[in-house]
Amino acid sequence: MKESPQSKKLEAMLRSSKLVAGGFLGTDNRSVSEIIETDRQTAAAAGYSTAEIARRMQEITDIAVTGLGNFVRIDEGLEAMVEEAKGSLVCPWPHPGTYAKRVTILRDTKNQKLLQWSDLNIHMIAEHGFFEGRGSTFRLEPDELADVIF
Amino acid sequence: MFTTILISVLIISLIAAALAAVLAVSENYLGDYGPCKITINKESELEVRGGKSLLALLSQEKIFIPSACGGRGTCGMCKLKVLEGGGPLLPTEEPFLSDEERDSNVRLSCQVKVRNDIEIQIPDEIFAVQEFKCRCADILELTHDIRQFTFELIEPEKIDFVPGQYVQLFTPAYEKSSEEVYRAYSISSDARNDGKIELIIRLVPNGICTTYCFDYLKEGDEVKLNGPYGDFQLSDTEAPIIFIAGGSGMAPIKSMLHQMVNTDNKRKASYFFGANKVSELFLGDLMKDFESQLADFTYVPVVANPEPEENWDGETGLVTEAVKRQIDDASVCEAYLCGSPGMIDASIAVLKELGMKEENIFYDKFA
Repeated sequence: MKESPQSKKLEAMLRSSKLVAGGFLGTDNRSVSEIIETDRQTAAAAGYSTAEIARRMQEITDIAVTGLGNFVRIDEGLEAMVEEAKGSLVCPWPHPGTYAKRVTILRDTKNQKLLQWSDLNIHMIAEHGFFEGRGSTFRLEPDELADVIF
Repeated sequence: MFTTILISVLIISLIAAALAAVLAVSENYLGDYGPCKITINKESELEVRGGKSLLALLSQEKIFIPSACGGRGTCGMCKLKVLEGGGPLLPTEEPFLSDEERDSNVRLSCQVKVRNDIEIQIPDEIFAVQEFKCRCADILELTHDIRQFTFELIEPEKIDFVPGQYVQLFTPAYEKSSEEVYRAYSISSDARNDGKIELIIRLVPNGICTTYCFDYLKEGDEVKLNGPYGDFQLSDTEAPIIFIAGGSGMAPIKSMLHQMVNTDNKRKASYFFGANKVSELFLGDLMKDFESQLADFTYVPVVANPEPEENWDGETGLVTEAVKRQIDDASVCEAYLCGSPGMIDASIAVLKELGMKEENIFYDKFA
């Protein structure tokens, strides 16, 4: 299917490093719509919608914030901390909105596996179903993420 | 029939493309609005050639308004008051402005294009801001993700700053970023050593400037920064001080402690510094030096989750819990805080609980 000029513009923005170092798509050569659709299906196969995943991520972040930069218990076998930096991030989609430069680090204490996401990731998953491209710093695999957070 | 439609679509597309090209050329070559006057604070006037953003024109005249994104309208930092001649507020500015700011004519200077005479209002401190050419003299690893960078000033050779203020570090385009940006970092150095600027920087995953500093910047490299900015500074009262910080929030507090030593300040002061693990504490020896040099200073490192093998026998838990345990009455004290918004909000709540008046709490929030 032919891409609209808006989609092309969005993809160029996501591939560029205008907003974050290395961009949002990493080494992923797929189109943005293909990434979003594949991830939606993967999340659905794991039993969750992208909105449900984003909601749970937000819940975890909200608890982790109370640790003031230290790990706090989320659930049995899960702990998380939030790191904040000066400034804000803007969503690459063409709509107003800025997000704190805040990274939630989630640790699965059973296997010490770490996952991380920013406030912008939560927004992009909730509103745009976008988990970033493979190879980008903040790429989250929807099924692996769902497996850990639920 | 099909051929006619195809030709029509082609002709319309060509006309549209030609019009777009004409518009682009016009903007670049004909968008010169001639000489324009920028009146600043009703006092001084600048004659500039119109057609560029207010931010760019002021910077050209060596008036540096804080801006982190290089004028792309994504950081919202370059606010100033445009009293006349700024044109209508743009949709790109709206997300960054509160209702109160809109009512008082605050605009993003990178989004205001100078097309005619314009009248603006900026804080007087902005006139003291200079651009510095420096050389990276030393990089010291403080923790796994925090480093101290020392920059020797080349031109101008000296900086005059008040401890607590910050500078903006220029990041050139590099492998992982095609954009030039500035990022704000508090100065951590002793203001007496005015030929150097020291910054304490924490690596932000995917951060354009911190990735550059950690992975690309080397000792000997030339860098550019501008400043000083900000009004976070010690008051001249005699009130006992409670400092609270975590991570790279150490920077302005360290600079203030140097200042207290230099001025033989005898105020009672306690510094609560929070970390997750013992290995995330740093500059402990310097803090001990401050304890011996200052009349009544106590450094209280607080470790949230010490490992048993770390044999930690100091304060544990959240930094705010340690403050509560050690301070009974904060009603006569002042507090100076630097760190994440979450830590600052929690600290303010605890300090108010301990009787401190809100107007005596000063902070540099990472927001």
